[in-house]
Amino acid sequence: MTDKFEDHESRHSSTSLKSVDNADNQNSAQRVPPPETPEAIQTRFRVIAAFWAVIIFLGFPIWWKTTSIYRAHLPIQEMTEWSEGKICRPVFPLEIQIAAPALQMTESQHLVRTTQHALDDLNEFAAHHLRLKLANATDLSDNGASMLSGQNTGDGADTALTVRVLSEDGLSTPRSELHAETTQLDIFYPPSQVPVPSSSNPALSVFIAEELQRLYSEEKATIAYILSGGTSGPDAESISRRLRRSMKYADTYHLSFSLFTPGAAPTSWDIEAAIQEYLAPLLFAFTPISNFTIDTQVQMYATFSPMAPPPLFDEVESAWTLKKEDLSAFINAAEWPLNPSIGNGPTLNFVLYVPDPSQSPMVVKENRASSWIIPQWGGVFLLNPPLETTDSSGSRTNPAHLSQDSLRPAFMTFSHQLLTLLGTPATPSSLPLRLQSMIRVRAAALLLSASSTMGSLARLTESLPSIPIPATVAASVAKTLSQLSATCSHLREGRFGAALASARIAESEAERSFFEKSMVGQVYFPDEHKVAVYLPLLGPVGVPLIVGLMKEVKRLVAAWKARRLSKA
Amino acid sequence: MRVSSYLSLPLALASALWSHATSASPDYSEHLLLQPLPQSSLLASFNFRGNTSQQSYDNQHFQYFPRALGQILQHASTKELHLRFTTGRWDAENWGSRPWNGSKEGGTGVELWAWIEAADDEEAFAKWITLTQSLSGLFCASLNFIDSTRTTRPVVSFEPTGDHKRLENLHLLHGTLPGEVVCTENLTPFLKLLPCKGKAGISTLFDGHKLFDAAWQSMSVDTRPVCPADGDCVVQIEQTVDMVLDIERSKRSRSNPIPRAVPNDQLACDPSKSYNSDDTCYPLEKASGRAWSLQEVFGRTLNGVCPLAASEGESEQPICLRVPDERQVSYSEGVVEHRKADGYTRCYALSPSQPFDLSVQEQDIQQEVPLEEPVLHAERTIVGHGQERGGMRMILANPSKTAHVDFIIFESLPWYLRPYTHTLQAKITDANGTSREIPASELVTGTFYRPAIDRERGTQLELSLSVPAASTVTLTYDFEKAILRYTEYPPDANRGFNVAPAVIRILSAPNAAPIYIRSTSLLLPLPTPDFSMPYNVIILTSTVIALAFGTVFNILVRRVVSVDEARALGARTLKGRILSKVVVLRDRLQKKQTKVE
Repeated sequence: MTDKFEDHESRHSSTSLKSVDNADNQNSAQRVPPPETPEAIQTRFRVIAAFWAVIIFLGFPIWWKTTSIYRAHLPIQEMTEWSEGKICRPVFPLEIQIAAPALQMTESQHLVRTTQHALDDLNEFAAHHLRLKLANATDLSDNGASMLSGQNTGDGADTALTVRVLSEDGLSTPRSELHAETTQLDIFYPPSQVPVPSSSNPALSVFIAEELQRLYSEEKATIAYILSGGTSGPDAESISRRLRRSMKYADTYHLSFSLFTPGAAPTSWDIEAAIQEYLAPLLFAFTPISNFTIDTQVQMYATFSPMAPPPLFDEVESAWTLKKEDLSAFINAAEWPLNPSIGNGPTLNFVLYVPDPSQSPMVVKENRASSWIIPQWGGVFLLNPPLETTDSSGSRTNPAHLSQDSLRPAFMTFSHQLLTLLGTPATPSSLPLRLQSMIRVRAAALLLSASSTMGSLARLTESLPSIPIPATVAASVAKTLSQLSATCSHLREGRFGAALASARIAESEAERSFFEKSMVGQVYFPDEHKVAVYLPLLGPVGVPLIVGLMKEVKRLVAAWKARRLSKA
Repeated sequence: MRVSSYLSLPLALASALWSHATSASPDYSEHLLLQPLPQSSLLASFNFRGNTSQQSYDNQHFQYFPRALGQILQHASTKELHLRFTTGRWDAENWGSRPWNGSKEGGTGVELWAWIEAADDEEAFAKWITLTQSLSGLFCASLNFIDSTRTTRPVVSFEPTGDHKRLENLHLLHGTLPGEVVCTENLTPFLKLLPCKGKAGISTLFDGHKLFDAAWQSMSVDTRPVCPADGDCVVQIEQTVDMVLDIERSKRSRSNPIPRAVPNDQLACDPSKSYNSDDTCYPLEKASGRAWSLQEVFGRTLNGVCPLAASEGESEQPICLRVPDERQVSYSEGVVEHRKADGYTRCYALSPSQPFDLSVQEQDIQQEVPLEEPVLHAERTIVGHGQERGGMRMILANPSKTAHVDFIIFESLPWYLRPYTHTLQAKITDANGTSREIPASELVTGTFYRPAIDRERGTQLELSLSVPAASTVTLTYDFEKAILRYTEYPPDANRGFNVAPAVIRILSAPNAAPIYIRSTSLLLPLPTPDFSMPYNVIILTSTVIALAFGTVFNILVRRVVSVDEARALGARTLKGRILSKVVVLRDRLQKKQTKVE
């Protein structure tokens, strides 16, 4: 009541004063409105609180829910540890059986012990070691069958090699003989050198140990090179060159044999017979490691690319020569139909090139070679068949048909190139041993590559927080990790075939998780876009809300301070 | 091996086998037919045919069959494939019936149909998608856009042309891309499939500039198994290129391709017309005696023969020309001319590895090569107006005075064109020009209709019809245009949407080769929105919401005071304080100035 009265009075006075003094009016006329009632302040506080409650408890969760991206949980720690090699140190214990039918039990046991001792002394690479074992007489016969496949039916370790120690008369020093078709090494020794149990380091044991060391030296160097990540090793240069040439490991390889000729002849070749005769046995030996499909084609009028340097005639050699550095331009990729085969797996191309009669014979200038490998792609063979003279014009032409015999050198070369391209080591001379060695090298390489893919995936998901991670990726990662540890334990127990199978699965699952398509989509959705969509709505709505909130907060703080002051 | 055994065949047998249409024995053959057409056009019809035995095909030993295509077909279990690339329009009124009776041409754009071996429809469709994706890569065409909405399964319009052992597992799928522009990037892979690759033989005449400059051209690839009664099955690939070149246009030099106006005094005007002044002219239709040569028309000469095809002997000539016998034709040396008994055809046996040219002299001639009258004239247009509805009209004319003609119309319509089949109406016009409405059921003897499902499949309509002698039938039906979703519009939405041509299969005598006619493709204008719409919608709705929200929020939160109270309060607000500071500052400055004075 008093308020109202005063108010009325002052207003009255102000009107009366206005006419008197205009300048004075400024201060006296400005009447502060009555302070707000606590109910009004309370209501405003509630209104603003209600708005903000809706925003925080309804709007924000809905926005969060609808715009968040699904990121499945990945075992980042474990993945990183795999890539750093902390979880698994691959080891390669090779089991070698020694059979000495002519020796006494104790003598042979002693031989095994001393040879093992000599081997351990020679070996400087701990991850790869040979374990000698005395073979039972019964084992020996059925080992021969399973030897070729490199796999053992039982749970035990694969037998890598069987050493037969035989005595032979008329020898002064021991000699060895490696069977080319089986995994058997025969050691012949003069009967005089039978190791006596008392001698600590008999000559025969040393000889066997050195032989074994020599057989596995290339494999050891390769594995050491792979495990060290391509830095160390005694002959890293040659190994890295060999590994760079070879294809990545695959379940299935497509082999594509093509006959190219720039002219009109030859138009046919005895390809089916040639493959059956020269290539099929080799491919059969590979069946435990990889499968192969074969296709062939004949292409006439396949000319060189206009950019490629043409072959030059060499008077001395009386041949057309290609320079070594120009060989990379030999394949006319634009025009020759060498597209990869359909289906999973890489294609290996083998090109048989029959030069035009006017440019025959054709060889490589530097070394008169007629074939070369194109790393990770295939091989080329220049075939210079004897020219035929046609009776009408006297011009010399290529034969219209290439017989199986004329294809023989080409296919011998192709099979050699195939072994190189598949990454088979060059030594030892026995093919089964080389294939077994390849299994171990491949298993080691796959293990490392899958592990490093895991590491890359872990780094990728951590560095890009906006990409989604679907559940399938998590499943693939889990499968990869379990297969990796399976590989590791298989290796430790010497089951290399099983280790390769696990490593294969690990590698393919790792690749699948890394190259998951749905992970890429979100990356290219820029933040500017979001601003453009949100700003028209959030700008006009947000400003009054925030200003209101700020005012309320200020008022509350002031009230709180006032209360504290009054208390004090 | 096969070649050598084939070489030992008697020549007579070889020629007999070649003349037989479905013969399988020559491993490779190629053929070119040249025929001048009225109005200074030239039809060039190329045909290449290669065989490979079923066994070596299955074992992937490719010799005359291209490896790339063979592997695709095997991967997709495709037993028979027909692929067409077509541009332009065949002018049936002037040029008569179509080459190969229309069986080697497709509708404008790309058309593909194949018989795929599969256990059920789903598997067949999965293989079909594999096939289209792979062919898309091989032929550099957008075949991968043939999805389920562009795929149909015709029931009566197509029959397999090969000899198939098990028909029950074969599924026919058909897809069209009427908007695809066929160009040189499709010709290059086409040539790569040929064993002589455009380096020898008649394929040396192909030049992308000339081929795709033609008034009409059609490229086809057909593969099919052929099992002769005696002997082993072979897989046959047949590639054809048919084109109608405008001779005048083709003879323009490449360096100066812009057509120039003929000087007035060189114009050939029709003297029978009356002229008002000197500068008018009714052009005289020249008798078809124009001079041309291969070099002029194709821009290059023919480079020898493909040795694979040449091995079949002298009795068959790869190049034939159909002009009246009185016409003078000169040709390169070393070439042997054979005239056929019909008085119009002459064929040329080439000598290997020598260029061949052929030139026809300009000559006034009375006689023309008779052109075969087409069995049926067909025309198909979209009628109606507005954005919502439209109609389809087909005019089918039977020129024959005596025989009626039976045929099947196959339409595959996109799903956004929704036909109403109950509105199907027929009007028949007889030779006198009197027309009457008749119920459609009087003409339509059979219907196969598979309605569309939005965004999943298109409409498939097959009508079997009969048109009486010397009469014209007009079929119409109405349709509704669908409204598409925002993202379904192509970048050039206002151009219209392509509707695939109708395929008409004429049912002639049983066991005779079928005759096909394809109508032109159509453009369907659909209602198209303004494409800045989404942003407008965002801004507009945001503004409305902000307005409403701001009003409500202000009413709820603001304090209501009178005007002078507001002024008083204003002094305490930020704005008021700033103003008062400004006043103080101004006052101080004024004071300083007075002091200085």
